[in-house]
Amino acid sequence: MKISLSWLKEFVDVVESPEQLRARLTNVGLAVDALDAVGDDFLYELDIATNRPDCLGHVGVAREVAAIYGVSLRMPKFELREGSKPAADVFSISIDDPEQCGRYCGRYIEGVKIGPSPDWLKNRLETLGVRSINNVTDVTNYVMLELSQPLHAFDANTLAKRRIIVRCARSGEKMTTLDGVERNLNPSMLMIADADRSVAVAGVMGGAPTEISHDTTNVLLESANFNPLSIRKTSRALGLSTEASYRFERGADIEMARFACDRAAALIQQVAGGTVYRDVIDVFPGKRQPSVVQLRRSRIQSFLGGAVQDAIVERIFQRLGFKSTATADGWSVEVPSHRVDIALEEDLLDEIARQYGFDKFPATLPSYAGYGAGLSFEAEERLLRNRIAGQGYSEVITIAFSDEQTERRFRANVEPVKLLNPMAEDESILRTSLVPSMLRSLQWNLNRGMRDLQFYELGKVYRNGSEGRWLILAAAGMLRPKSVHEAERSFNFYDLKGDVEDVLQVFDVDGGFTGDKPLAYYHPGRFARVGETVLFGELHPEYTEQFKLRQRVYIAELNVDSILRSRRQPQVEVMPRFPSIRRDLSLLVDSGVTYSQVLAAIPRSKELVKIEPFDRVESGPFPESKYSLAISLWYQSNERTLTDAEVEELHSGVLTALAAKGMDQRK
Amino acid sequence: MSSKTGIEQLRAIEEQFDRECGAVSDPRSLEEIRNRYLSRKSGILTTQLQNLKDLPSNERAEFGKTANQLKGKIESALATLETTILEREKTSSLQREAVDITLPGNRRRIGHRHPLTIVRKEIEDIFISMGYTVEDGPEVESTFYNFDALNFPASHPARDPRDTFYISDAVLLRTHTSPVQVRTMEKMKPPVRIICPGRVFRRDALDPTHLPMFHQFEALVVDEGITFADLKGTLERFHKQFFGEKTQTRLRPSFFPFVEPGAEVDVSCAFCGGSGCRVCKGCGWIEVMGAGMVHPNVFKAVNYDTGKYTGFAFGGGIERYAMLKYNINDLQLYIQNDMRFLEQF
Repeated sequence: MKISLSWLKEFVDVVESPEQLRARLTNVGLAVDALDAVGDDFLYELDIATNRPDCLGHVGVAREVAAIYGVSLRMPKFELREGSKPAADVFSISIDDPEQCGRYCGRYIEGVKIGPSPDWLKNRLETLGVRSINNVTDVTNYVMLELSQPLHAFDANTLAKRRIIVRCARSGEKMTTLDGVERNLNPSMLMIADADRSVAVAGVMGGAPTEISHDTTNVLLESANFNPLSIRKTSRALGLSTEASYRFERGADIEMARFACDRAAALIQQVAGGTVYRDVIDVFPGKRQPSVVQLRRSRIQSFLGGAVQDAIVERIFQRLGFKSTATADGWSVEVPSHRVDIALEEDLLDEIARQYGFDKFPATLPSYAGYGAGLSFEAEERLLRNRIAGQGYSEVITIAFSDEQTERRFRANVEPVKLLNPMAEDESILRTSLVPSMLRSLQWNLNRGMRDLQFYELGKVYRNGSEGRWLILAAAGMLRPKSVHEAERSFNFYDLKGDVEDVLQVFDVDGGFTGDKPLAYYHPGRFARVGETVLFGELHPEYTEQFKLRQRVYIAELNVDSILRSRRQPQVEVMPRFPSIRRDLSLLVDSGVTYSQVLAAIPRSKELVKIEPFDRVESGPFPESKYSLAISLWYQSNERTLTDAEVEELHSGVLTALAAKGMDQRK
Repeated sequence: MSSKTGIEQLRAIEEQFDRECGAVSDPRSLEEIRNRYLSRKSGILTTQLQNLKDLPSNERAEFGKTANQLKGKIESALATLETTILEREKTSSLQREAVDITLPGNRRRIGHRHPLTIVRKEIEDIFISMGYTVEDGPEVESTFYNFDALNFPASHPARDPRDTFYISDAVLLRTHTSPVQVRTMEKMKPPVRIICPGRVFRRDALDPTHLPMFHQFEALVVDEGITFADLKGTLERFHKQFFGEKTQTRLRPSFFPFVEPGAEVDVSCAFCGGSGCRVCKGCGWIEVMGAGMVHPNVFKAVNYDTGKYTGFAFGGGIERYAMLKYNINDLQLYIQNDMRFLEQF
């Protein structure tokens, strides 16, 4: 809301500089976003909260200024010369739906001369960014900016049978609004109608056929009050938001409607001439008693945490237009009609706090006998993050929106969460996996020349009805770039597997790796899983190409919630006191045989404590259908140092068993 | 040969040894000189001692004594020399292993945490130390928890689909972390002292000052006798802990449907200390969060006794706190995940 200082000064004496007033307004809750000098005037850009529609006009802001400085408010003064004929003789107004329209004030003005506005009027509007249209329309805008009461002027000759009916739209009814758009109406929308048809969308926008034109001579002036929810629904349904709907949505002052009607009629008379018929036609089914709220004195201390003297409390109420009377334990406070936001004792406490000054209350810390704690599994999450950071992965955070086509390629059978009103077509659902957004993060960096990357994201994925956290690791390029000290080495499948193994070990995740059911976006020969908890491998080359990644990408997806839960407290095992003895063997194995099959062929004894492969050669002086695999075995006893003979016996048992499976020692 | 001649010869040998000894500098010449004088077969001194038997018996004692003295002196001189030479050898072999310490070190790649995670954990830890427990809740939320239970009137503009992402009429992406307040109060009785950090969504187009998805943290305290002054004190303490002890906190009246009184919270500008700069647009203060005393209607929605309990709540953007802490001027940096950005943390 733009407020002109010179206009404001018509209603209140401003006793400080424009800059000082800025700080004062901010301190009572009328945040000033900007203060600009415009000619010899100053413009305040106020950020008016949704609960203070009374401050969407200069008089409302002046009332706050009056309270700040302890000076009086001057309402606009005007002289209205009414004709002798009563308006009700020539015009009739009725409200069909008093729930949605609590008051309708109308004035009939005959014989106006439509033309440009005088300079003072034009300048005021234009300073506040409102385009000048013609003298009568400008007056309605002027009074709205002054009193925060939206008004509308009809060309009275266009209104059938000189009737105004406030009613809901009829099914299938259509009307062209002032902006030239033909609107399809429905019965949930409140309309202003004449005897035949709708002529304005109530509280939102007038209709084109009945607008003020050059030829207009007679005017029906509307100053009404509408139900905020009704206006909001209609404005939303039509996709049409105006200065009027903005105010009505927040709640206009029902008592102000008549004053504003007279004020505007007087101004029209002043700038466009004409005869104002006698009396306002005032249909007021929504007349209410002012609401009264009790305030207990003790609550000031017990709720605000500081004392405020009675005299100060009473002065604040008086300046803001509240009528307070003393009661046994405090005050009975009558709320003025423009304060649609005041209903409870806490609302009055707020008025006292903000006008007295938030800074005048002490700052204390509440006492508490409880204790603080993080989320469940917070310690485990921090351990996981530290572990992964130690492995070299840096954290990314990505936007959770995606498009269904992309997501289906990664989670073909997951029903996604779809947005009714996405910002863009490719942001129309919530992600079902962390993979596409991770690939885009890699792409961003690759496109900027960073090729050696290790990233992780720990974030939510969503499906219809549930959301859960997953961890994704991703790596590309060199694990170690070439340096003056070392040769380079690419990140490979086994680097990823080692990182996964480390996490699984630290978090006591049981279950072996299998290559079962490879997902479509993984390289079919370089994929492994641990049940449904962990999926990892090299990204399928087709996906690498489609995401323009230009190098091999490795990803691992881990179900975080399940991993964090499986960790057990470490229980230390006593280190063996006796030495272990290592024996190496070199086997010739059939090409199709995996390492796990070799392991399975080795007979286990409690003395065989560790097995580790250390070399694998695909071709050499042996048949092409075989490969050579070198393995170290460690033998150890908890009771004594094993003798050579004992180790020899155990080891030859291993060799015999392997030979029986066709895995002979390489000669 | 008389003893006199013999002793003179020994003196000559001694002089010769002293001369030659000075030139010995490495293990090889040390071994040579040792052999030359002390070799059992042909050493110069050994040969002299073999002459002992040719002397008259009364002279043997003196010659022998002098010769043995000389032998002792040579042996000890050679031992000293050997220690020196070995010491020097060790030193020089270490010097040969010297490296160019000005070459860059071999850095293992260690991952970096995202600044939003760093700041989020830091905020959590400050509140945990003040006795708060951390809570979380769903991001796909009902309009009841996101708006209705928080006293948003049905006509409130924040409900507009221009501002809020909807999944259906009754389900949306939460626009703030405040629904967690309601969910927590539904499941526990006062005293309540919680903080809920999390992800929220608003229909803003991505630009340097807007993200359609961002992170908030929300605090809620409910007990008997909680006051507006407690809210002020808590915010002051938190900001001193987070930004530094010199930080000032200011509350300005504002409006949020779920609190009354409501306030915008400003902190003194960390970049200029309050004297005014580009970051605080010259005013010395930076807006960081919204706060207030819990509205009685919110208590009613969760069946708390409004006659008995009062409380305060506040919430801020984690992106904003990280911006102020690390001098980040573009929100898009948080989601671009550029390695050159991430590796600064």
